Amino acid sequence: MMTILTETAAADATSSVLAARKAHNAKLSANADKKRAVWFPIAFLAALLVLPALQFTGNYNYVLHLVLFTACYVTMASGWNILGGFTGYISLGHNVFFAIGGYFAGMIFARYGISTIILAPFAGLLCAFVGYLIGSVTLKTRGPSFIISSLALVMIARILFDHWQFVGGANGVALKSNDLSVEWAKLPYYYAFVILAAFSVWASYKIKHSKLGLGLRAISKDEIKAESAGIDTRTYKVLAFAVSGAFVGMAGAIWGEYLTYIRPNIFLIILVSVNMVLMCILGGKGTIAGPVIGAILIIAFNELFVATLGASELNILATGVLMVVVLLFFPLGIVGTLARHHRLPRILNWD
Amino acid sequence: MLKVNGLCKYFGGIKAVDGCTFNVDRGSITALIGPNGAGKTTAFNCISRTAAPTKGEVWLDGERIDHLRPHKITQRGLSRTFQISRNLADMTVLENVICQSKIGGWRDLMKPAMSTQEIDKAMGILDFLGITRIAYEDGSNLSYGQKKLMDLAALLMSDPKIILLDEPAGGVNPTLLEEIVGHIRKLNDQGMTVLIVEHNMDLIMRLSHRIVVMAQGKVIAEGEPAEIREDPLVLDAYLGGVLEDAA
Repeated sequence: MMTILTETAAADATSSVLAARKAHNAKLSANADKKRAVWFPIAFLAALLVLPALQFTGNYNYVLHLVLFTACYVTMASGWNILGGFTGYISLGHNVFFAIGGYFAGMIFARYGISTIILAPFAGLLCAFVGYLIGSVTLKTRGPSFIISSLALVMIARILFDHWQFVGGANGVALKSNDLSVEWAKLPYYYAFVILAAFSVWASYKIKHSKLGLGLRAISKDEIKAESAGIDTRTYKVLAFAVSGAFVGMAGAIWGEYLTYIRPNIFLIILVSVNMVLMCILGGKGTIAGPVIGAILIIAFNELFVATLGASELNILATGVLMVVVLLFFPLGIVGTLARHHRLPRILNWD
Repeated sequence: MLKVNGLCKYFGGIKAVDGCTFNVDRGSITALIGPNGAGKTTAFNCISRTAAPTKGEVWLDGERIDHLRPHKITQRGLSRTFQISRNLADMTVLENVICQSKIGGWRDLMKPAMSTQEIDKAMGILDFLGITRIAYEDGSNLSYGQKKLMDLAALLMSDPKIILLDEPAGGVNPTLLEEIVGHIRKLNDQGMTVLIVEHNMDLIMRLSHRIVVMAQGKVIAEGEPAEIREDPLVLDAYLGGVLEDAA
């Protein structure tokens, strides 16, 4: 009798504990959803889409240029983030895809007059293919060796493009500018870049939450464990490389026509790829909002220091110092560190 | 079910595993024991292809698997844990576990990872192991024993036919040890084949149906716990002191 009583009591206790646990877990997962403010990125995008209306009231070409430039870097940094942030493979050679995209679309534009905005997706496909090939070789190394291999990639590409006469060698090729009047000339590129940036952010969100993304994150933490967990690490890594290259390539395609010039020292300077990396690190590697915040901050500070300190080396120094200071207080990047301390404002929680 | 035939792994001049041959029967708990440096973990690594064997064959259900890549082996139904728990920091326990779930193919890749289906399955496993309370905990915040349990949970997520446990009881307290033993036994009752490396003799003697003893990269004895206890070769190489003390 006694034992039966205690048993039923114990069973009751277990089931109530189980129920409590279930409720607790449900609350935790609901909490994660509630913390997200989906309206903010959408409202932000909408604001950017109506921004060119400013042109009716005066000449705001500089503002449009800055937004466009930032959007270009958001696309590239988000793309880089897929490989560097999610997968943990730091590449300093992603400007190669910028060049491949730019040259591919630029040359077709120069010869056949097809707008690079239409060509951008194809440039992306080409870059994905090239990324797949390069990745299958270089991703066999990891850590410092991989970084060096990516630097070597830039040098090889630079030498190749400097001496390839078909694409104008070191002089490059001048592209025709469009026929729109001055205040509207930037508009097609503006919209192309803003939409591309939005697409890259959306895509990196999708990837992060997919099985692929989970696998990539596992690879970045412990590749041997990921492998024994049944993840095809080689394929995953190469896919990440291809996808991230595709985004950078799409940005490069449009960038060439926007500048009306394709030339190796526009695309294949190390500053471009370093910028991508710095933006991700400043904003928070492996987060969705990180590259966006990083791109906005770095470009804003660059402009600020150029305006106040002049276009000397001093402005670069100031950006560098600022970067160091920020990273002292936000070692995981701004978004990453805030999220770690549960201090991330809801509007920036895009993960 | 699992057949290891003449497995060798050389590191330069060191023969870590040197012609290791043994079988694991379906539905059994087989233990791999031996003194430190006997090559148990290396043998494990070669079977799961975490390291490439120098030569030798590994057969799983009549299929040769020693040339396959590690993820393929896991997909064939052979999963392992690591001696020093390898967990994925910055990911929750749930993500750690779901990470190990099977992936059908290309079309599966872009499906959401944390679907209700997966979460339910993972939660079921965590519940079986009694650790649902840490499901949303960061993997790096766990205690050593909890990490071992999480490893076990992740292992089960891949629906294995045979599991290789590398020192599941290493560094855990006696209460948790009993718990882990209970889980292994329960899994075995459900038909799971288990190959286990362990230093805790008491656990091995109680748990395993069959014991394979390795020393210096070779299998020196094989048999039931009672036989192994009596085997002079084993006593000489390894068990002697321990058992005499116990008696």
